[in-house]
Amino acid sequence: MTPLDWWVLDGVLAAFVLYGLWRSRGERDLTDYLLAGRSMPWGMVALSVMATQASAITFVATPGQGFADGLRFVQFYFGLPLAMIVLCVTAIPIFRRLGVFTAYEYLESRFDGKTRTLAAALFLLQRGLAAGLGIYAPALVLSVLLGWDVRLTCALIGGLVALYTVSGGSRAVSYTQALQFTVILGTFGFVAWRIAAGLPQGVGWSETVSLAGLSGRLNALQTHFDPNDRYNLWSGLIGGFFLQLSYFGADQSQVGRYLTGRSVAQSRLGLLFNGLVKVPMQFGILSLGVLVFVAYLFSASPVWFDPAARARLAAGPDAAAYHALEARQQALDVERQARLAVWLAARHGRDAAGEHAAANAVLEAERQQADLRHEVTGLIERRDPHANQSDVNYVFLTFVLGHLPIGWIGLVFACVFAASMNSSSAELNALTSCTVIDVVKRVRAGPWTPAAELWVSRLVTFLWTAFAVAFAESASHLGSLVEAVNLLGSLFYGTILGIFLTAFYLKRIRGTAVFVGALVAEAAVLACFHFTHLSFLWYNVVGCVLVPAVARLVEALSRAPVGSTERSPR
Amino acid sequence: MSEAGGRPPEREAGGEQEPPPILGTWRNLYALVAALLVLEILFFAWASRLNR
Repeated sequence: MTPLDWWVLDGVLAAFVLYGLWRSRGERDLTDYLLAGRSMPWGMVALSVMATQASAITFVATPGQGFADGLRFVQFYFGLPLAMIVLCVTAIPIFRRLGVFTAYEYLESRFDGKTRTLAAALFLLQRGLAAGLGIYAPALVLSVLLGWDVRLTCALIGGLVALYTVSGGSRAVSYTQALQFTVILGTFGFVAWRIAAGLPQGVGWSETVSLAGLSGRLNALQTHFDPNDRYNLWSGLIGGFFLQLSYFGADQSQVGRYLTGRSVAQSRLGLLFNGLVKVPMQFGILSLGVLVFVAYLFSASPVWFDPAARARLAAGPDAAAYHALEARQQALDVERQARLAVWLAARHGRDAAGEHAAANAVLEAERQQADLRHEVTGLIERRDPHANQSDVNYVFLTFVLGHLPIGWIGLVFACVFAASMNSSSAELNALTSCTVIDVVKRVRAGPWTPAAELWVSRLVTFLWTAFAVAFAESASHLGSLVEAVNLLGSLFYGTILGIFLTAFYLKRIRGTAVFVGALVAEAAVLACFHFTHLSFLWYNVVGCVLVPAVARLVEALSRAPVGSTERSPR
Repeated sequence: MSEAGGRPPEREAGGEQEPPPILGTWRNLYALVAALLVLEILFFAWASRLNR
């Protein structure tokens, strides 16, 4: 990066943080700090909800996924609009009517204290660790590409987030998210235009789409049913529906965002807007990756995009084999571009037979490149079987570093930092809400002054930030545990959602029955994880269906008369 | 106003009865979101046909 890029990076990040601090003024009580005084219009709710879900990895890895695997990942989000509708009908009116701060607070009024404690504990466990990984994952990519120490990068992200999240709480989080997310989308829009404009002369929209289709990158819809495949129409619609329902309905990171709406209608509109634009947005980010793929067809590309892995291979015992692969890659770059020139000439000359033959030649070069990358994977695995054998996280930013104009590179990196801050700040605010409302205020009941509530909430936010950064800094030493933590969400979401759906729809089920149902469902999900190859999206369905089913069974077997002690939902 | 899905109207709570700014009822707005999803899936089906 040039000095101008560093100035842009520093200046934009400083502006974001200063804006967050400016918005931190005037917090008076717990409702202000945890739910922005329930005062946000629907546009702010929508941007906040979207910014919370779109972490830095979304903006870094999703284009990489488009580059390597095409558009099929978009199917993962098909269930989201339907989940938004269900939540608008069910969850928002109930949460708003009860005036709760957290989703788990509702469970005590509907069931009992132990069910609330179970759900809150599952959330704190899963989200507390995930917040650390949410900082570590982008910090790793940024540190490799910027040449920084990963621990320093984790501390920088955590420190920037802490500055406005600790002082300003939910309101500062929402306003900063809205600004940052708007800048991020604008920047990525410019990058897409710049890549398209930078393609060689004679390569327009039609040629770009043809090349993407030729290489199989336009695989946006796959209708075959395979429960072990997470990206097809059915797993996206059914498994994705339950996953998004769990995430938006039972994860305080999102519940806390839409409860900031100034009314039921404003919260609903925020979620519905998310339902309208999420799939097109993900399609756009994936298309950016496909565009990067087409751009790399016409220029030299590294045989492996992760520079740290490249350096390890070049300095290791397989250096000779690796350098041979690099040389083959360079020769292949030249050959592919020559074949593309023939293809373009035939296409523009309306020579259908020539175009078909040249297309096959380009496709063959593409297959050889895929084989080369597979050989690099083999070298990486031979050197360290536990090393990361995917470089998709590095594709987009490598392209940015090599192809974007001066100044814009710094802005793109600032956007990646900002995306990480967006999701982390909302998670920390949610962890604070759950800790203060579902733990601290239950353990220490009694009168609290607004000042004391604010002071404790700020302290809890600071402690969660410190924990997240400390966990992120040790994540590189956790090895396979990192994968296990990544799985935590999908292992618990279904069960938590099952508890909530039982609460919403099965009015006769009482606390003990749903508690037993949750324990049985969780055991079944863990059994699926250990003993089957079922795609993790389906864990949400298993957990969610088993909780009400077992709870109904337990309730039916119970001899106590139903209704006498039942606490009906308010 | 009856909610989509046949839920009976409940007492006013923080704008629960407030209609959406467009399309008149929440049911219509939910239908718009679902219809757009269907259109998107149809578009993706068409795009997939361009795959070789």
